[in-house]
Amino acid sequence: MVVSLLARALMMSTPLLLGSISEVIAERSGMMVTAIEGIFLMGAWGGFVGAYLTGSSFAGILLAMVCGLLMAGVYGFITIHLRQHQVVTGTALNILAAGLCTYLQRVLFGVPVSPLKISPLPKLAIPLLGDIPVIGEIFFRQNILTYLVYLIIPLSYFLLFKTSIGLTIRSTGENPEAVDVAGISVNKVRFLTVLAAGIMGGLAGAFYSVGYLGMFTSGMIGGRGWIAFAICFLGNWNPKGAVIGTLAFGFTEALAIYMQTVGGGSYFPNELFIALPYILTIVLTVARRNFNVPAQLGTPYSKEN
Amino acid sequence: MNDKDKLKDLIITNFLAIAAGLILSGLMLMLLHINPFTVFGDALHTMFTDKYTMGDVLLKATPLIFTALAFAFTFKANLFNIGAQGQFYMGAIVAIAASLKMDGVVPTPVLLLIVVVLTFVAGGLIGALIGFLKARYNANEFLVSMMSTYVVQALMNYLLRTFLLETKGEYPQTDAISREAWIPTLIPGTRLHWGFVLAVLVAVGVWILLYKTTLGYRIRAVGSNASASEKSGIKSKKVFVIAFFISGALAGMAGFTEINGVQHMLIQDFNTSIGSSGLGIAILANANPIGIIFASILFGALGVIGNLMGRMPGLNIPSSIVDLMQGFVMIFVIVSYFLRAWMANRREKRRLQKVVEK
Amino acid sequence: MQVPFFEIQGVSKYFAKVIANKDISFSIQKGEVLALLGENGAGKSTIMKILYGLYRADEGKILMDGKEVKITCPKDAMKLGISMIQQHFSLVPAHTVTENIILGNVKGRIDHKKCHEDMKKLADTYGFDVPVDAKVSELDVGVQQKVEILKALYLNARLLIMDEPTAVLTPQESETLMQFVKSYTEKGNSVVFITHKLKEVMEVADRIIVMRNGRVSGNLKKEDTNETELSRLMIGKDLVQPEKDSGPMGDKAKVCLKVEGLTIEKKGEAPLLRDISFNIREGEIFGIAGVSGNGQEELCEAITGSLKPTAGHISLNGEDITGLTVRERIGKGIGYVPVDRHRDGMVMPMTVAENMMLKESFGSKWANHGFIDKKKLNACTQKAIEDYQIKAPGPDARAGGLSGGNQQKVILAREVSVGSELLILNQPTRGLDLGAINNIHTVVLEERKAGKSILLVSTELSEIFEMCDRIAVMYKGSFMGIYRSEELNTEKIGLLMAGYAQEKEAAGNE
Repeated sequence: MVVSLLARALMMSTPLLLGSISEVIAERSGMMVTAIEGIFLMGAWGGFVGAYLTGSSFAGILLAMVCGLLMAGVYGFITIHLRQHQVVTGTALNILAAGLCTYLQRVLFGVPVSPLKISPLPKLAIPLLGDIPVIGEIFFRQNILTYLVYLIIPLSYFLLFKTSIGLTIRSTGENPEAVDVAGISVNKVRFLTVLAAGIMGGLAGAFYSVGYLGMFTSGMIGGRGWIAFAICFLGNWNPKGAVIGTLAFGFTEALAIYMQTVGGGSYFPNELFIALPYILTIVLTVARRNFNVPAQLGTPYSKEN
Repeated sequence: MNDKDKLKDLIITNFLAIAAGLILSGLMLMLLHINPFTVFGDALHTMFTDKYTMGDVLLKATPLIFTALAFAFTFKANLFNIGAQGQFYMGAIVAIAASLKMDGVVPTPVLLLIVVVLTFVAGGLIGALIGFLKARYNANEFLVSMMSTYVVQALMNYLLRTFLLETKGEYPQTDAISREAWIPTLIPGTRLHWGFVLAVLVAVGVWILLYKTTLGYRIRAVGSNASASEKSGIKSKKVFVIAFFISGALAGMAGFTEINGVQHMLIQDFNTSIGSSGLGIAILANANPIGIIFASILFGALGVIGNLMGRMPGLNIPSSIVDLMQGFVMIFVIVSYFLRAWMANRREKRRLQKVVEK
Repeated sequence: MQVPFFEIQGVSKYFAKVIANKDISFSIQKGEVLALLGENGAGKSTIMKILYGLYRADEGKILMDGKEVKITCPKDAMKLGISMIQQHFSLVPAHTVTENIILGNVKGRIDHKKCHEDMKKLADTYGFDVPVDAKVSELDVGVQQKVEILKALYLNARLLIMDEPTAVLTPQESETLMQFVKSYTEKGNSVVFITHKLKEVMEVADRIIVMRNGRVSGNLKKEDTNETELSRLMIGKDLVQPEKDSGPMGDKAKVCLKVEGLTIEKKGEAPLLRDISFNIREGEIFGIAGVSGNGQEELCEAITGSLKPTAGHISLNGEDITGLTVRERIGKGIGYVPVDRHRDGMVMPMTVAENMMLKESFGSKWANHGFIDKKKLNACTQKAIEDYQIKAPGPDARAGGLSGGNQQKVILAREVSVGSELLILNQPTRGLDLGAINNIHTVVLEERKAGKSILLVSTELSEIFEMCDRIAVMYKGSFMGIYRSEELNTEKIGLLMAGYAQEKEAAGNE
């Protein structure tokens, strides 16, 4: 029971981790990706459409990344090149994404009599590792996206802190002028990190449709993009912190689902569990104060001023 | 460049942005093999000729004025309250609970007065809590206000299936309030109620508060430069809390006009996009309270046009066309901010170059 | 004459609101120190940023060794051997010295250990004492500048552009820098030295380009010119220095501000202020000299009330004000012109009139029952605009649209009116042109004549000597002593600023 709960917690953590690491990378360069909710949603939609039309989950995942990339491209263009407000632009894009995917869903599939289904990604047990009692059941009987995240955690850490690209990204968030003077285009760095965040965010969205539920509804993201956004803050702009933060959220989410299924509602209202991740975010935002926020987060860079 | 030129630029570019947004939405309609011209034409024709529909435009604009003011108010203090949706829900919960309790007990004017004050306070307290966390713990108000909406929504859902559940107990919704607790109709033959007048008056009031009083002055000063204000003896933290209280209170009042004026009951997933539309409207109006009135009417009109389209026989236009139109309009409005700055810049540069050459 | 190393031909640059450069032409020879002299806003930095590829010229071209080169970004400039040290250093404070130097110059995986060693070697080669694994935020400004120079040397720069490099240095540190410049150019490299200080130009330059209003107003060899000529080329007219008399009452005047044992100390950190005691009499200008960042700002803010002291007392006209809030102290007649007007002095998006009421938005001076008395406010602002010769279209003009000097005059007008007893001025003339400086000095001397007490913080020694009756030198949060201005000279004050106590003081202090 506990094992399956933990396995589920880990699974539910996958998209949040992808999203929050994508946000870490972009924010380290000074860009808040406030369109993350919309990127998740478009990813979920793209993943579903790709998988449904071709019958291949892989094609779905690919289309999800393309959708995320496009959303991020528009977001980056408006906020970086046109220097418009990040929060405002993100909100507009999130509204647009909600309308766009519902509308396009209708264009493509009309009003189906019964909900359209695809088969979710299978759980792959890794030989040997998957047979280890408890550990194997929790960690090594997951779907391919979760395994992908296992790789992305160390890779993103290595990229940010051990390579020249990471140094450039981090410097851009701290003092873009230094990067400019060093002969690197600030806007280019920021645009590329946002695009990377878009691809990862699209992938995270695909987890919900292709990886988990095998269907698409316009409400399926329901603020989880924002939770990934919050985890980035709470994880102190570090992939390691994001891991810890995400596991906490994945756990509450799995717990909520578990309580609903076993009828824990007789003691506590279900809504409490649904609200728990959000309450947790507020509490942690208040409790965590030694932030190492990138100095120039959210500020557009313009040298001729 | 003087202020008049700026206003002219603002109106022209906004008009173009709205047009661009609608054209793009029209192209999307063509994906469904629908001729956008006839559909838009029919919808506009109905809207402008039918009194009832015209009233609906203003009816839809009413809560948007409140939530847009809510965002604009903290935006002036350089803070982000993107939790207007939650504050609106809080207002709605309080409005329905109070109305049901007092329904038939107290006379209508007294009831409405009490409810409007309660919604104001309810939304305001949620806002003030966010402002307090910001001021006291330096919590990120953007995140906290964002999360607060989901928490209030969960609370609302809980109440809807417990304390506020309808007598029949069938659906997660409340009983309807009687006519005694309704906001009186403004124009007979329409659904438009006096809440619209209230919204306009509140918008004007917010404008006066921000630009004519010392409190509003301090809110703007802290918003633009908290450090300079602090060094001038203004307690910026106190101002944060006040600004957030007022902001939340404004959003809470939308709960009053929606419950007592339109819906007369509270249902699950009630007006889910009021908060984000409000944000879009505030941006469209450059956070100017008077501009917000007009921008809200535009968004109201877009909503009504979308509904009219959806009801056109045989076409099957999905209701999400409303989100699409609003989303595209917002994006183009944001781009127009850049265009305005860019045009002004280029004009100035040319003028300089000419001066030098002479 | 040999072919110049670099040549700038007919370069113009227009910004949104100003012509930054118009038809600039001059050359830079190999092995010379070229000074680029001019007031703030004359376009010196802009033309050099164009050479370094940070800005793009609207007209004109750049030649290297007689051949035209295209410099569209700093990478191009670096390839040609150009490096530039910005006035506000472009270092990442949260990163280490090594990380700052290798930024943009390494590829792929970073071998931190090897990089540290390389940097150490580089620093040793040039005799720079720089801790390469320390975070930049932990270093003094003088060391930070060395990091900037190391960055250039790491790239084998042959032309080094330095924008106002001595602004943050003590006289002794400046001396070290000048020696580096000399030895560096002796090897055939070139240096462009951007400055507005005449004395420095005469000391270090081989040749001088003077700029005014975006144009070149003079191109001279050092031997052929003098400070008077340069000053005229730079300003365009002769300036009349304001006269200072002996002061209304001198030593017999009543003490207005009394500060006793003022200390600000956080546990486990070096104290920001350490046991500061002094008093200022009516009609006296008390100067505080020192390199910026040695506690001057904290001292000012402790007196105005925005920083709470951990020990000590402050009294004004005999009344203890240590426990009063900022607002209450404003009510007692303390005016304060902060060092950073953008951050602390003004609300740039607001109008001039709105900025005039910033300090007194409470109470009834500008308001009736909470509503702003726009008529009265506008009338007073209009009067200030006339009295202080503020170049502004009117009370409703946006403060952010005014020039720096005019913004400073708005703040000064407000603070003179607020500060009926005490006026605190933290580097009131920093970054202003000589005309505006002159105006501000005149106002301050008038206020002194009217009997106000004035606390003047400055990093410009000339300003300190010109204006002050008594001078304290601050170093690491302490006073190095209080002197009558006649008792000090540049050399003495320079030593005090660097933390070397005077011998006669040393016994008493330690």
